Amino acid sequence: MGNKLLIVLGVVAIALLALNHDSFTSAREEGFFYIPLAGTAAIAAVASLAASIAFLRTRNFRFDAAAVAATEVGLAFLAAAIVNGCCLTGYASGRFWSWDSGLTAALVCWLLYAAYLMLRQAVEEPTQRATFAAAWSIFAFLDMPLVVVAMNWWKPGVHIPGDWTGARVCHLVALTMIALLMATVRMRQEEARREIDSLRRSAQ
Amino acid sequence: MQILRQVWVVAVKDLRAELRTKEAINSSLAFALVILLMFSYAFDPLADTTREMSGGLLWIVFAFAGTLVLNRSFARELPNDCLDGLIAAPVSGGALFLGKAVANFLLVLAVQLVSLPVFGVFYSVPWTKQLPELLLVMVLGTWGLTIVGTVSSALTVNIRLRELMLPMLTYPIMFPALLGAMQLTAHLVGGNPIDEEHFGWLKMMIGFDVIYTAVSLVLVETILVG
Repeated sequence: MGNKLLIVLGVVAIALLALNHDSFTSAREEGFFYIPLAGTAAIAAVASLAASIAFLRTRNFRFDAAAVAATEVGLAFLAAAIVNGCCLTGYASGRFWSWDSGLTAALVCWLLYAAYLMLRQAVEEPTQRATFAAAWSIFAFLDMPLVVVAMNWWKPGVHIPGDWTGARVCHLVALTMIALLMATVRMRQEEARREIDSLRRSAQ
Repeated sequence: MQILRQVWVVAVKDLRAELRTKEAINSSLAFALVILLMFSYAFDPLADTTREMSGGLLWIVFAFAGTLVLNRSFARELPNDCLDGLIAAPVSGGALFLGKAVANFLLVLAVQLVSLPVFGVFYSVPWTKQLPELLLVMVLGTWGLTIVGTVSSALTVNIRLRELMLPMLTYPIMFPALLGAMQLTAHLVGGNPIDEEHFGWLKMMIGFDVIYTAVSLVLVETILVG
């Protein structure tokens, strides 16, 4: 994606967030940002799954770079969602972690994708690393609905309030654009890293 | 039929290798006993509240001890390049994987069947009241653990920090099935039959087992051959 397009994407995202400023002021009552943040993380997970399946089918390393970029950005957004949700429950009840079903499910999903990054770091051979990571991404994605259902059964009553409103959908769109921007930068970085890696290997 | 025979051959080979050395099963059993003993330091083992969380305790023991067996599953094949030989053998990746999973399943289940009565005695838990249902939960939970664990074992076989990575991969994925197993076990050792509320957890465990067995069989060829 061209640099100009990325800049436009960032400007539009910031404008969208700024236009929704009204919903910011009542954020404490309405539920901060954790819903659109978690939504963006879910979109990143779908992107990571699609890229992983595409890698396994085509063996094109661009898809591997896309998968790792989407996963890392999604993890960052999910971490932000968890911290935000913690702050919200902390303000509401004085207890920062009340085993809210949504937040606990988010934490388990975060751990699943953190394991993805750890697995990548641990495997040294590039093709094997990409294959294993892609397989793990599929495993992790399939687990997410089960985790959400299990958490809702486990703690059915405990859930911080918050629904999708127009302002939140707008936030989701803006945050997804920012995520796309970050993922594109990360993907370039990953591709450059692989190229340097292969040059070093051929020099040896 | 051919595939079933291949699965059986691989499973028997793994079981025979394990029973001759007993390296995984002995350490796993000893480890299970050590954790069971250590729990008694954390809280009063004879208090009534212990009964309520017994399901959770028992499955923590099962999961921790199980990973010791699972760690060895593919790592055992590394010396003398046995893994390359197995992959090159005229056996499909799926049959190889299922054979290993069956062997692991039997080994982990054996460890569980020994530690269950010990647990019952240590914490005076009446675990025999709903034995058939409890065994069903154990079989379902253990199959989930071994399927996910065997895949993780294959993924981590060439990694330096293999022993550390396997639990990091297995436990978060196991979360829904493990939670279901804990809820059901606590309910069953309390002497209650599986009611409608807990039946959902049973369905969750069956669903988990079916989903992960199917996906593992689809992906295992890619993982093993690359």
